[in-house]
Amino acid sequence: MHAGVRYGLMLAAGLALGAGTAVLQLRQSFAADGITAGPWRTGEKIGTADASVATRASVALRGLLALPEREAIYFNAAEDSAGRKLTGACRYTVSGGAIDARWWSLTLYDAKGYLIPNAARAHSLGSAALTPAEAGRWQVDIARQRTGPHWIAMPDAQPFELTLRAYHPSPQLLRQRGSVDLPRIERRECTS
Amino acid sequence: MTRWIGPFAIACLAALAGWYLTLAAAPQFIMGRAWERLAEQAGVNRMTHSPQVTAERQTIVRPSPDLAYSVCAFDLSAGPIRFHAQPVPDHYWSLTVFDSETNVAFVESDRESRGEPVEIVLATVDQTVPDGARRITMPSAKGVALLRVLLNDAADFDAVAQDREQSYCRPVQQP
Repeated sequence: MHAGVRYGLMLAAGLALGAGTAVLQLRQSFAADGITAGPWRTGEKIGTADASVATRASVALRGLLALPEREAIYFNAAEDSAGRKLTGACRYTVSGGAIDARWWSLTLYDAKGYLIPNAARAHSLGSAALTPAEAGRWQVDIARQRTGPHWIAMPDAQPFELTLRAYHPSPQLLRQRGSVDLPRIERRECTS
Repeated sequence: MTRWIGPFAIACLAALAGWYLTLAAAPQFIMGRAWERLAEQAGVNRMTHSPQVTAERQTIVRPSPDLAYSVCAFDLSAGPIRFHAQPVPDHYWSLTVFDSETNVAFVESDRESRGEPVEIVLATVDQTVPDGARRITMPSAKGVALLRVLLNDAADFDAVAQDREQSYCRPVQQP
């Protein structure tokens, strides 16, 4: 084989491999966001040219038009606190304490980042829905049917993701976003 | 076999370059497609006050069902665009302007505006804006502005409609 052909083939193969790896990396996880806190992933400098190329691409694909961090921090999870993929075949409880922000919300999406139709339209829980007594310790169930006072519907067995939005986060939450206590995602019973 | 050492090294370098270039190009590519879709659905240089987010009505990825959205896909090619964000009392609200590469060129919320409207004029570097206007210079002609209003509950959507509908984007020089 001519040397030019060898170089050309390997150049093309390398470019295709690199581009394919980037696409898979973006589609398969939030790892490109960069910062890990338990099952949650988040980034920094979102919405600016100073963010890493991986963070910028991940946010563009999975959270286009996201607010910059002084306005909101987004924590995304595709796994539970034990590292298992979130799936609608199981029931989950998400529990946490006060989040140091003006308000927060927890929303369930499919693996492409869209709300999943359900008759009750129970897609999210916001801090505004909690009683003062619950503000410091709250829990929400993720299940087919309502099982507790706070419930997000997961109507079928497909994989899903959670997004926790903290609006007007405190300076401390901004600084410690990778080490702060965030809600636990615990898997309960599963159907085969 | 040694004939392949050089090509293999080139493949490794090309893979790194392909990975980096794909990630680097993604924001502008994705934003471009989103801009086209928004412009087709809602027009250009006009603010559309989207209906309540439901699973059946999702125009952007990862929408929040707790927010009411108004969106303006803008194009400064024909001149500057004026934005007016009307306060929604006792609610979180914010106006964010994104350039064609997803960078935030402007963001302000009720925390900064303290009950006053936000009024800005977007222009490219070579355009002039009216005297006294709060100018935001954009690096490119196209982009998207998004107005968010927090809903206390689903019933709140109608309650904030009157204020939301006073927000607009439109050319400074109306045709």
